Amino acid sequence: MRSTPNVDEAEADQHPGHYSDPPLLVLASLAGGPKHGHAMIQDIAGMCGARLGPGTLYGAIGRLEQLAWIEPLPAEQRRRPYRITAAGLRVLRARLATLQQFTQAGHGRLEAL
Amino acid sequence: MTPRLARWLTRLYPPAWRERYAEEFEALLEAGPSDLRTLANSIFSALHEHISPTHGGNMDQDPNSFNAMLRRPSAWLPLGMSLTALTMVLVSLAIGLAHGGKVTRDPDEGSIAHLWQLLMTVQMPIVLFFAIKWLRRAPGQTLRVLGLQACAWLASCAPIYFLHL
Repeated sequence: MRSTPNVDEAEADQHPGHYSDPPLLVLASLAGGPKHGHAMIQDIAGMCGARLGPGTLYGAIGRLEQLAWIEPLPAEQRRRPYRITAAGLRVLRARLATLQQFTQAGHGRLEAL
Repeated sequence: MTPRLARWLTRLYPPAWRERYAEEFEALLEAGPSDLRTLANSIFSALHEHISPTHGGNMDQDPNSFNAMLRRPSAWLPLGMSLTALTMVLVSLAIGLAHGGKVTRDPDEGSIAHLWQLLMTVQMPIVLFFAIKWLRRAPGQTLRVLGLQACAWLASCAPIYFLHL
């Protein structure tokens, strides 16, 4: 269903408006199980189309680790997998609930157009 | 990406970060492409890490530790204000002693006295804010910081009280 008749669909396809909140994307990726950096990038790209750069990814990992929302697992050769902690899961649930509220409100307004 | 280029990009990061992430970051870079986007992303992220470091993601850093508490503006601002007030009093005393040789109470409070009063009063709501915000979250460390703030406040008042200024 098309609810925004003034938006050119071809243009929308070219600029899908990737969601970009690296820490949240990392948390969401790790909610599906422990992963190392490369697997996270691929998983996030599959989830929402956003392709995180290596620097952006490790910036998010560093901050999430400092907040104890994710934790490192023993390294596998040179790759180190990470997993989400209980605190990280709580934060992810809260953020996703807020986002859901936001998207519902946004869709409601678009339907009203 | 070639291992050499990956190593060069990793070297742009601060030492504390490299100590923690260098090996896995290099492995990630080597597994990915060496396009302009990856290079720019790594370089800008390294710059950002220098400006706003994650300290290598050190898990031992407790956000409610004494040092971390002291770094909060509502903790160090009152301390700074008390120390500034104390310094002002001491400098004023030193100047008075150097010129007249005697410390006396000035009936007409000058600008230094007004500034001292301002510094000692304005810090009260800041201390109150700090106490309300942090006492429940980290009571032990908050009490230590509050004790330090009280000591600094009393130290600033001491010359006024003992010398009857």
